[in-house]
Amino acid sequence: MSGEDGGAWQIVHVPGRPPVPPDQQLTVNVVAAQIEQPKLTNTIIRRLSQIAPLEDLHHVKRVKKKCIEGGQIQLSVILCLAPENGDFDGIPCDVKDVINSYQLSPFVAKVCKYAASSKEEWVEQCKLWPTSYHPPTYNISGITGFSEEDSQSVVSFMKYALELAKSHGNVVVNAAAIVDPLSNQVIARACDEVCSLQTPKTEASAECGGPGQVKTSISCLHPRWWVDEQTGRSSSFCHPLRHAAIVAIESSAARDRRLFPDVRYKDESTIEECVLSPANSQVKRQKTDANDVDNDDKNDTAYGNGDLSSRPYLCTGNDIYLVWEPCIMCAMALVHQRIRRVFYACPNPSAGALGSVHRLQGEKSLNHHYAVFRVVVPQDVLDKVELSMISGS
Amino acid sequence: METDNIASSERFSPEILGFMQLAIDQAKLALDSLEVPVGCVIVEDGNVIAAGRNRTNETRNATRHAEMEALDVLIIQWQRTGFTAAEVAEKFSACSLYVTCEPCIMCAAALSIIGIKEVYYGCANDKFGGCGSILSLHSSSSEAGISIGNCGSKGFKCCGGIMASEAVSLLRDFYEQGNPNAPKPHRSRVTQA
Ligand SMILES: [Zn+2]
Ligand SMILES: [Zn+2]
Repeated sequence: MSGEDGGAWQIVHVPGRPPVPPDQQLTVNVVAAQIEQPKLTNTIIRRLSQIAPLEDLHHVKRVKKKCIEGGQIQLSVILCLAPENGDFDGIPCDVKDVINSYQLSPFVAKVCKYAASSKEEWVEQCKLWPTSYHPPTYNISGITGFSEEDSQSVVSFMKYALELAKSHGNVVVNAAAIVDPLSNQVIARACDEVCSLQTPKTEASAECGGPGQVKTSISCLHPRWWVDEQTGRSSSFCHPLRHAAIVAIESSAARDRRLFPDVRYKDESTIEECVLSPANSQVKRQKTDANDVDNDDKNDTAYGNGDLSSRPYLCTGNDIYLVWEPCIMCAMALVHQRIRRVFYACPNPSAGALGSVHRLQGEKSLNHHYAVFRVVVPQDVLDKVELSMISGS
Repeated sequence: METDNIASSERFSPEILGFMQLAIDQAKLALDSLEVPVGCVIVEDGNVIAAGRNRTNETRNATRHAEMEALDVLIIQWQRTGFTAAEVAEKFSACSLYVTCEPCIMCAAALSIIGIKEVYYGCANDKFGGCGSILSLHSSSSEAGISIGNCGSKGFKCCGGIMASEAVSLLRDFYEQGNPNAPKPHRSRVTQA
């Protein structure tokens, strides 16, 4: 894994279906030819798209440009699909006419049969013959790469999440930060609240604090950990479903209700205390958190003074930063809340739903699709936040 | 694991139909509150111990599905009683959930995490269903659990198609009247599911 040399941060797109190794991508044969006179290119292409359109190869570019010595550009064009038997006699008559009238020398070339599902796949495809890259979520920024400025912003929010995960003394937990990329603000943040050992200001007990035990306290890695013998016997459990992402969504919803109050639901505070907050201690702490976030809200110019026309719909347009790849419950919760992009630092081989065990971002039936990125954290940064031992790297 | 999608309700016992009727009553409450009409009840030893209905519009939290609402009621109550995690797990393992629509992927995962005994549902959920429609989380026990005791996921018994037409007609009523809480027309389909 690339963090090991201490090296650079990397942001890797995690596509909706497993990437196909470059040497295993299916290809088809086409008949192509070099164009010796570049000024004829447009005329030839226009003629070919009429007589031999590439019906099932819309992702394949008709023309390939290649820089050769002396700054010269060599152009090749796809004439048609290669005849089944590979015999050029099988080339359609119209195409033969083009070959003859421009004195082309046809040759067989390979192109990729299917459109690329990731940038990596696309880069490999283009080595064979150029293709275009339009994944279903292609309009989400970042899929085709990040600008320097955007990368730095991603890195700084991931650092924020890493610090958050570390803020629980010796107990390592998952952490989540929901970010509005327009205002570059953290609008909600949370850590796991499954077990009271994970709540802030609690001394880590011998049961959970030891290095060997730390790993299992991360909710999304082992969702059934809460019934584990060690935790099961203590009476200090909090809530088996309060994984960091779930709590962060709850917090962003509370912020939405604060910024854009709805007169129809006056008894809101009662609901929040009775239904949404499992323990008295947590109610207190949430109030403290809410105060912090309230202060943030005062600086929040993006949404004005709760003007309903600017009210965001759920988390549309927002990103979430998670230290660990979410479990299937959390991943689906993020779909429901309409998150735009999910960034996680560490893969979750036991229960990860965004690439490791499931690949929820590729489920076509869902009504919303977010883009998923893994942020590879350099080893020295992991060391600094003392997560290296459990990062899975 | 059985996922029995039989439209006819005659095949189900009066007890099952009775509990599903209570879940439908919850769904109607949701409809009255301008929420996507899905409701549920949780049953222990033949008694309803919790009920829930969808509150996604009210809370602006799209994860507040009926199942999550009902599970939270019990978790908070048992926590206040002072039960240990082991006791809570034991209680959930004796509970049945009756819900008007197939639990979505999120709720199915949550039910597996808390270790519910069994789920009876009304109509299938062909967009988000986590009990057979899209994923089958009820029938998967993860291998990760082997090395670390109870840490993986736990399967549960699942049976669908109970009073499905009633559940569907409530959903149809909701979508025909539109979702009045949605700020813009294209947002009119906030779905619990
Ligand atoms: Zn989770
Ligand atoms: Zn659900």
